[in-house]
Amino acid sequence: MYDTIIIGAGCAGLAAAMYAGRLNMKTLLIGDNIGGTITLTDVVENYPGFIKLTGQELADNLRNHAEAYNIEKSEAKVTKIKREHNCFIVETNESKTHQSRTIIFATGTEWRKLNVPGEKEFANKGVHYCALCDGAVYQNRIVAVVGGGDSSVKEALLLSQFASKVYILVRREKLRGEPINNQRADNNKKIQVITNINLKQIKGDKVVKSVQLDRELNGSNELKLDAVFVAIGHNALSQLAKDVDVKVNDKGEIIINRESKTNIPGFFAAGDVCDTVFKQAITGVAEGVSAVYSAYTYVNENEFICPIGNDDMVNIKNAK
Amino acid sequence: MEKSAKQVKETMKNDGKKVKIYTTSTCPWCMKTKEFFKENNVKYEEVNVGTSEDARNEMFQKSGQLGVPVVDANGTIIVGFDKDALKKALGI
Repeated sequence: MYDTIIIGAGCAGLAAAMYAGRLNMKTLLIGDNIGGTITLTDVVENYPGFIKLTGQELADNLRNHAEAYNIEKSEAKVTKIKREHNCFIVETNESKTHQSRTIIFATGTEWRKLNVPGEKEFANKGVHYCALCDGAVYQNRIVAVVGGGDSSVKEALLLSQFASKVYILVRREKLRGEPINNQRADNNKKIQVITNINLKQIKGDKVVKSVQLDRELNGSNELKLDAVFVAIGHNALSQLAKDVDVKVNDKGEIIINRESKTNIPGFFAAGDVCDTVFKQAITGVAEGVSAVYSAYTYVNENEFICPIGNDDMVNIKNAK
Repeated sequence: MEKSAKQVKETMKNDGKKVKIYTTSTCPWCMKTKEFFKENNVKYEEVNVGTSEDARNEMFQKSGQLGVPVVDANGTIIVGFDKDALKKALGI
């Protein structure tokens, strides 16, 4: 029986694990991608204490800090959470169940899709969602980033190191990156920002060759290019929480208060999966630490009745 | 003559299976895949598709796509960092 099971091992989950270790809570951190989404970010310049480091370095630092304490870790994938009495049962793809007094849910997000014709067909054949992952494949080629937020500008800046030309296609009338990044894009000769434009279709044969736009650009609705990088935001990975009646907003993000509490007692949430407006590594780790303190208080204030004996781990097949 | 540590390590790897990984210099999943190889003592050849058009073409020919990493594990093509598929292909 754990005091807390932290689901998700990105920045928020790792920070929670570190603090749970400090508070001597019996802790299990479960995440199939240690480090999480930040590892797909090239440069991080907005994490206090570090002027500039890579996403992977930040993730490694957070991981090392968490591992400095006595916590257990599993690189499995959680498949189900159940609530029985006032305990939680967590099932994984390794056919194991774990019991816990509390849950800290920090599963993060997945990339939002454009939902235009050709997107699925050309996935990884010119349609990509991570410039750090696949950008260098487009050396001296023409690419476009779709999206008008800060992630989109950062993706374009990274792509300009490889590509010969980078379009940023923005649906609204202006780019909404952080001023420092907008300025960098302005000064970058390879980057061209096109506003008030929508991508309607992605075309090609074996790979992407062009995109169809909803208005003319240089006399044509068709823009020739080699790849489209989609950066239009993220969807919260909240389904497992919704299955135990955790409340979400209309975007599917978990509603938390300042103490990272959800509507379900003993179920706390942190990081990008939550309804926080400004989603950053720094806000995620803060929520993770708040969630742990709330969980710690909750464990100390309640009596627990749990359903399956005292074993920490029970094989599902044997238990049935 | 006594075998060097390196030679001993070589004999532990792959049992004659040829492993080639197609990468770029920045790709985080490529790094995770290479870490996995190191942890499991898998000897591999790495080619950078960001700097070599030939490697890029070869990767596309084998996998039919342009995402990295791509692993050619003795003829089995694995796209992305797929631990289970790698374990199966390499008999780990």
